[in-house]
Amino acid sequence: MVTLQPAAAELLGITKRFGAVVACSNVDLKLRKGEIHGILGENGAGKSTLMKVLIGLALPDAGSILIHGKPSRIKDPAEAASLGIGMVHQHFSLVEPLTVWENVILGEQARLSASSARRRVKEISERYGLEIDPNDRVFNLSAGLRQRVEIIKCLRRDPGIVVLDEPTAVLTPQESEQLFRVLRRVVERDNKAVALVSHKLDEVLSATDRITIMRAGEVVERLNTSEADAPSLARAMLGRPVSLRSKGIALGHIEIDEGLAEEGGGSESEEPGILPVLRISGASAKGRDGRVLLDSLSLEVRPGEIVGVAGVEGNGQAALGDVMSSLLRLQSGTVTVGGKQIPTGKPGAMARAGVAVIPSDRHESGCVLNMSVAENLTLVSPPRSSLGLGILDRKARRSQAEILMAQFAVQASGPEAPMWSLSGGNQQRVLLARELSGNPKVLVASQPTRGLDVGGIEYVSNRIRQAAEEGVGVLLISTELEEVLDIAERIVILFRGGIVGEMPRSGVDIERLGLLMSGAAAATAAGAAAC
Amino acid sequence: MGEFLSAVGDVLSSESTYLSGWRFACALAFVALGEWVAERAGTINVSVEGAMLAGAFAAVVGGDLTGSIWVGLLFAVVAGLLVVMIQAHLSHNLTVNQFVVGLTINILVAGTASYLNSSLSPASPKAHVFEVPGLVEIPVLGPALFGQPWPLYLLYPLIPIMWWVVYRTRWGLEVRAAGENPQAADVSSVNVNARRRQAIYVAGITSGLGGGYLLLGWIGRFEDAIVGGQGFIAIAAVYFGGWTLRGTMFGCLLFGSVNSFRISLPGIGYQINSEMLSALPYVLTILVLAIFSKRIREPQSLAQPFVRGLR
Ligand SMILES: Nc1ncnc2c1ncn2[C@@H]1O[C@H](COP(=O)(O)OP(=O)(O)O)[C@@H](O)[C@H]1O
Ligand SMILES: [Mg+2]
Repeated sequence: MVTLQPAAAELLGITKRFGAVVACSNVDLKLRKGEIHGILGENGAGKSTLMKVLIGLALPDAGSILIHGKPSRIKDPAEAASLGIGMVHQHFSLVEPLTVWENVILGEQARLSASSARRRVKEISERYGLEIDPNDRVFNLSAGLRQRVEIIKCLRRDPGIVVLDEPTAVLTPQESEQLFRVLRRVVERDNKAVALVSHKLDEVLSATDRITIMRAGEVVERLNTSEADAPSLARAMLGRPVSLRSKGIALGHIEIDEGLAEEGGGSESEEPGILPVLRISGASAKGRDGRVLLDSLSLEVRPGEIVGVAGVEGNGQAALGDVMSSLLRLQSGTVTVGGKQIPTGKPGAMARAGVAVIPSDRHESGCVLNMSVAENLTLVSPPRSSLGLGILDRKARRSQAEILMAQFAVQASGPEAPMWSLSGGNQQRVLLARELSGNPKVLVASQPTRGLDVGGIEYVSNRIRQAAEEGVGVLLISTELEEVLDIAERIVILFRGGIVGEMPRSGVDIERLGLLMSGAAAATAAGAAAC
Repeated sequence: MGEFLSAVGDVLSSESTYLSGWRFACALAFVALGEWVAERAGTINVSVEGAMLAGAFAAVVGGDLTGSIWVGLLFAVVAGLLVVMIQAHLSHNLTVNQFVVGLTINILVAGTASYLNSSLSPASPKAHVFEVPGLVEIPVLGPALFGQPWPLYLLYPLIPIMWWVVYRTRWGLEVRAAGENPQAADVSSVNVNARRRQAIYVAGITSGLGGGYLLLGWIGRFEDAIVGGQGFIAIAAVYFGGWTLRGTMFGCLLFGSVNSFRISLPGIGYQINSEMLSALPYVLTILVLAIFSKRIREPQSLAQPFVRGLR
């Protein structure tokens, strides 16, 4: 049992604070060679922070790190790389205008040689079965291919320790499977130590050997994957027993429960009698750079229905949201709300027609962080003073804000608290309150639960369901399959700016869904048609 | 109108138009060459104007002290470098807003140079004209390209060298990455702020050289208005060129020609509002940016300071 060989990496008593937030509190973690170690925890548990400490992107306030038994101070990513630690970053490690090979060798010390770099990329890609063209520019690649580049880049220096932070967020289920096969190869063939960070139960259960569970900055449990099951992991992760079905989004757990889904099932929405409250037909749009954003996209949402738009990031989600926020004009096609055609790209037109929008980047376009909660709540239609002249009635605003804050259970020190002082979940409640208080006909929600903790997710998804029950047509745009499966009743699949398939939540076929998301099904269908 | 066209014709057929057009274009090109590198790394280095002016003043001092053009140019390079080191340190170590820093530097340099000039009144010999045998015989363009004061020829090898450095060396790759996506470059263990500072040093060196060339090649004495916004026009040339080297150099040629046109029109007896012509480079730049905005890709993190961990 006891190995005399030191662990590949050992983190001891790591503590890291950000102001008042303790992101990691006295955390111990041991990564062994030849093992995939899952680090599981819900959003905000401190997983990324812990990994950042290991990779030199954050300096710990306390604690020490042993690499192959040797105490090491890792002050920056270069230092980590020289110690043989490689990381696959989710968000910012590729430079889009550069080619694949340029990205792969970025940050190395040796003289630049294009031919030897291309050869290196080829070697690694063949060794691990990660096919890629080294001369492609990264901005031309799909999310799945970019992920390959990330992995090749991470493996280029043959690191002994490989860290992956939420690597599957932008992948289709099939691509995730393939990633895990590659990781298995890395571990078995090269005896590397792998840390796989995730908030998805299924993923950790199927791909790892050992699991460390974090909650609120602390390690709450360590166990072997063979001894673990979904309910016990969920309990440890959340600190209380939960029904898996309702926590599917947070835990990345997909449950196919035919019986349960059937009763709420979409049959009523199929009724021909009810007219759709939102109809988009043949919508096409191009970006400033001439790229196709939307390609004759058509979909319908009936009153009281929740339609989920599933798809891999970068397939038109942003453009669809922009059209519904009047930020993007269509080249062709129409948008009809409540039977009336609405001009696209005309500021305010969608909002006046009764379209409420929860944008995916709530910090950038959803709210003004430097304004108060009350100001944010009444940004769209501030109460005017009876004096006219556009003077705002501050008292009325305050009382209106207080009512909304109570209705939506916004936790803040008061209506005048600045928006930035609120947690993500409470900011999202403010947005929901503002958008739903205008009695919209249609609610467009883009990734409404992204980055929230379980309580926040539960609240937001319930509010959305409630809005639908009250007759609002909901269009849910999300790249998180769990979110779509949890909230939506009918699912349409977005690929390259168009809808390539549709299925009811009740009879959902995950495999087919994944294929549609990757465009594979569309390709085979086209191939069959051509024959 | 006919009169105007014939005046234009006169200007276009006169060898001296090309000579002076090229001379202005090359002064811009020295500066724009370095500014292009700085912008590819993510800085709009407004202080090139000040670096050019400092270069011009240092050149006359160097020439005055030693009588050597080479020493004058060396002084110019050092002065340009010193000026931009302030910019580099303040905007990429301390993350002070780069425009505020640049504009302040420009005002400081202008004041200091003017004061020192009036109290020292340095004067330098001028660089001699070197006619490249054979090539200078080429009709119309020969004298413009190959019959100029010799410091101008320093520019010719510098252009391909700079291209090679930016596109074919590791340093150049890291510079481009720092300008596009500094977070990505950082996690790939590129020292982003060091690359950005170094790219600014390059701009300082070429700007100083440009100022020195202007002074030693043409005037031999310092005047307050010797640079007169050419640093800003060089920045406009980088934008005009859509952050490609070829486009930037073409912009310098165009803007340099406009400048010489402006100066030679009155010389052949035609009056035109020269203030209007001096705004032309900026107007052209805005037009180009508006018309080609779909095709142009500016460095994605241009003018944004880099702080580790912030998105
Ligand atoms: N740079 C930062 N500044 C302030 N707070 C941060 C920063 N990074 C993370 N945090 C906070 O630390 C906690 C843990 O975050 P993180 O490590 O990203 O969690 P996880 O990756 O498990 O979702 C969160 O409360 C988050 O808001
Ligand atoms: Mg994280």
